[in-house]
Amino acid sequence: MKNIIYILLICSLLLTSCKSASVIKSKQYSGIYNQNPLSVLIMPPINRSTNVEAKEFFYTTLNVPVINAGYYVIPPFLSMEILKRESAYDAELFIDRPSLEVFAEIFGADIAMFTIINKWDKSSVFSTVTIDLEYILKSTRTNEVLFTKKGVVTYNTSLSTGNPLLNIAASLINTAAIKYVDVARACNNYSFSDIPKGKYSPKFGLDREEKSSPKKFNVRLPK
Amino acid sequence: MKKYTYLIFLSVFLISCTSTKGLYTWSKYEQASYNYLKKSDEKSTDKLFKEYELLINNQKGTRKVTPPGILADYGFLLIQKGDLIKGKEYLKKEILLYPESKIFIDRILKLVEK
Repeated sequence: MKNIIYILLICSLLLTSCKSASVIKSKQYSGIYNQNPLSVLIMPPINRSTNVEAKEFFYTTLNVPVINAGYYVIPPFLSMEILKRESAYDAELFIDRPSLEVFAEIFGADIAMFTIINKWDKSSVFSTVTIDLEYILKSTRTNEVLFTKKGVVTYNTSLSTGNPLLNIAASLINTAAIKYVDVARACNNYSFSDIPKGKYSPKFGLDREEKSSPKKFNVRLPK
Repeated sequence: MKKYTYLIFLSVFLISCTSTKGLYTWSKYEQASYNYLKKSDEKSTDKLFKEYELLINNQKGTRKVTPPGILADYGFLLIQKGDLIKGKEYLKKEILLYPESKIFIDRILKLVEK
């Protein structure tokens, strides 16, 4: 019994010491705490991968995690229509601009959110999808980068049946039928899990001392 | 000892129950949005409209209100389908619920009225 307690103590010490290496949110995301942004405009994702549909997988799943964190997200179908009308549907044109104030004027947005999909590779043999991507949230008021994450997600598309032969069969079927919307959703949920809470969350302004996640990541999902 | 094990399991279960409830519930909104964006046919539009109705009328999140953007997107798609009166109503509801949307939605209302 004593041994178990010692092992547990050592494990918890190790875990807490690992965690303390990360930065607290108020330091990592000082711009967000200083500016208290509320409205987020989702720019159409920049797709540099070979999967032509990756842009849509992400565009239709980006608003939910940001809204769930307590922010207002400009209605995605409505904003897409206006961006198209104004010939601004290509986010590549704006990502390096010195001023994004135009998005504050037209949309009332405090943040312009850019997503870059660098890679989307499917492997039927290993039952995985590997996505290399980057999120950049820029202030429309100061042009400052308020939040950024860059990393590689390896999404496991296999199903475990308990029988190795059946597993292979199930994986093959699953890779063909997998809902890629779920893959994009998992990437977004993981990446935005530590964004400071927005105005509509009861934790708004109260999460300053919480630990943030690293800006760069390499993760296997679902965990 | 066994008693304590049960207690630990019970508390973990209770904690996980309370912490999973988010600000909003989403049903199958993301999949329906994607299908509509890809196809924009009658079936995918109907499905997305049903999801919007669910998010508006059957909201089970802790805030108990429609999530941001849903009323306005629903209104916009209704206008595109020719239902101008109902569509404008939903756009105005978005402003009432989320005043920060006024700058953008007022612009849309003006465009619609032209």
